[in-house]
Amino acid sequence: MITRRTLALTAAAIALGAAGSALAQDKPPIRIAAIGPLSGAGAFDGQLAIEGMQAMAAVINAKGGVLGRKIELITYDDKGVPEEGVSAAKRALEQDKVDLIVGGWFSAVALAQKEVTRDKIINIMTSSQHPKVTDEGHKYLFRLNATSTMMSDRYAKFICDKMKVKSVSFITINDDYGRLEVDNYKKLLGACNIEVKGNEFYNRNDTDFTTALTKLRSQNADAIYVSAINTSQGATIYRQIRQSGYKGTIIASAGNMNPKLVELSGPALEGVYSVSLFAPDTTNASAKAWMAQYGKMFKNEPSFIGSLGAQSVEVLAGAIEKAGDARNYDKIAAALKGQKWNTLLGEITFDTKGQALQNIYLVQVKDKKIVTAN
Amino acid sequence: MEIVVFAQQVVNGLANGMGYVLIAVGLTLVFGVLRIVNFAHGEFYMLGAYFTYYVTSLAGIDYLGALVIATVAVAAIGVFANQFFFRPLRKEHEFTILLSSLGLALLMANGAEYLFGADPKYVNTRYADETVDIGPLVVTQQRLLVIAVALVMIAGTYWFIRFTRMGKMMQATAQNPEGAALTGINTGFVHAYTFAFACGLAALSGALVGPTAMLTHTVGDWAVLKGFIVVVMGGLGSITGALFGGVLLGIAESLGGGYISLGFKEAIGYAIIILVLLWRPQGLFSVGSGRR
Repeated sequence: MITRRTLALTAAAIALGAAGSALAQDKPPIRIAAIGPLSGAGAFDGQLAIEGMQAMAAVINAKGGVLGRKIELITYDDKGVPEEGVSAAKRALEQDKVDLIVGGWFSAVALAQKEVTRDKIINIMTSSQHPKVTDEGHKYLFRLNATSTMMSDRYAKFICDKMKVKSVSFITINDDYGRLEVDNYKKLLGACNIEVKGNEFYNRNDTDFTTALTKLRSQNADAIYVSAINTSQGATIYRQIRQSGYKGTIIASAGNMNPKLVELSGPALEGVYSVSLFAPDTTNASAKAWMAQYGKMFKNEPSFIGSLGAQSVEVLAGAIEKAGDARNYDKIAAALKGQKWNTLLGEITFDTKGQALQNIYLVQVKDKKIVTAN
Repeated sequence: MEIVVFAQQVVNGLANGMGYVLIAVGLTLVFGVLRIVNFAHGEFYMLGAYFTYYVTSLAGIDYLGALVIATVAVAAIGVFANQFFFRPLRKEHEFTILLSSLGLALLMANGAEYLFGADPKYVNTRYADETVDIGPLVVTQQRLLVIAVALVMIAGTYWFIRFTRMGKMMQATAQNPEGAALTGINTGFVHAYTFAFACGLAALSGALVGPTAMLTHTVGDWAVLKGFIVVVMGGLGSITGALFGGVLLGIAESLGGGYISLGFKEAIGYAIIILVLLWRPQGLFSVGSGRR
């Protein structure tokens, strides 16, 4: 007989069931702001960066997301300039009320942007290399890329010990990153008796470098070190170096090697060395899964800058899972700093300032591919 | 050694300057005959470079052939651009037409980003990486090609305008549009012809100068700015002015950048226009009458 009690229990069960499934469907996504250069001189690098993030988000969402929630990326254009980076971060934080921010692809932008997010929201800076980003950071500020100091230490050792060059000339981008690079290398290379014969600065929008290269060529150094963050400018510089008749060694600056650069530079980049956190011939399982997903979603080849974007999503997902809450920033920051993370770029940790301690690999361009060198 | 470096910088400047000349000739013609300040001129340069890229990479046609196809194709697009963006505004104030050209430029640049993508492209020509040694001086074959073609085109354009029937009609329309119409010249046809010719020249310069650097949808901005600097220096409407202005700008940039400061290189062009406009606004080389 159907008693009132049975009816009540059945009704309760149905209600709970409905509520349960409604809850499961209604879990809002974790909203991460992806602020990068989508237009202007760095547009292509920004595109690679966002693609890297989207591919990793897809891999994580396919496995169920984080805390049962999907990751949603909201993109903003910082145009590669600090003012826009600041206004985008403000919009993301105040108007769109995102949960976390990933940005700081260019150093100049990162330095300005961290002030907007200071102690307000988790902000992962990705490819910027300037040490002050973490030296003058805040409790929710993290930075993935090795600083230019860390990269130059490793790279200078290699240049001093392995490459048989006695003199170097520099061609450098005229911004915070470039000026720091030149200062670092003058000290490091000087320490092993390599003569720095000269340096020419170029600007963000230059397309013709023949004037600078003619000056550098006349200095007759054994090698020319090219400091170029932007793929398009980099490729033009490498080609024009060879076109100027220079026959010496070309050293590519750390962290700026990517497949598009290799494609555009053609023969000018063959045999050229660089250092990178990402080598496309890696055997890391997470990296391979990411590269497979990337290949399904995008036409470009996975690049270092994309891998940094992917790493930001990967560690954020892990930290949120550990903290149990996408908006408890103290817990997330503690989680990030509290353990070793197994990422697509290998095992990393964060120091007390939020600086990631990454693995730095020597790479070389051989037969138009970027491979790990020794 | 110092003299060699100096000579090399002069050669660099000459090569760049000739590229500027090619860009400026079309621009100055359009102003002279149609009285239009065409901000979209750089976008036709951009199209010329992109068309050359796609024709060589997709259709497999060799660079020189692709260059010709691109020039003709963009000239044809120029006819349409004139028809839709400038002809209806013929009777309006020059400023309105200028704004229209600005709108066209934005449309073309952003349309290019949408259609071709934001990734940089490289127009692969076998001349770009091959160098020629002239004594101790080095210059790429591509830049020599730019210089050669620019000289031929300038001479050809000058001869065309002075000695052919159409050229004389263009001169007449430039000097006095109403008078020209009264003598039976179809000024609408002259306008369309001149505009197409100028767009073809812009495309040709894009196809030639493009391979010296990477190609993105923003190159048009760069090109039109250089073009304007040269045109102001040389005098609006003057072909010989464009020649001398372009070469002067190229060499000034190269020497200024080489000996004063590289940051100066871009600034030199702007500094020159300000000086020219203050001191001799009709242009350094223009012969004057009948022009603004």
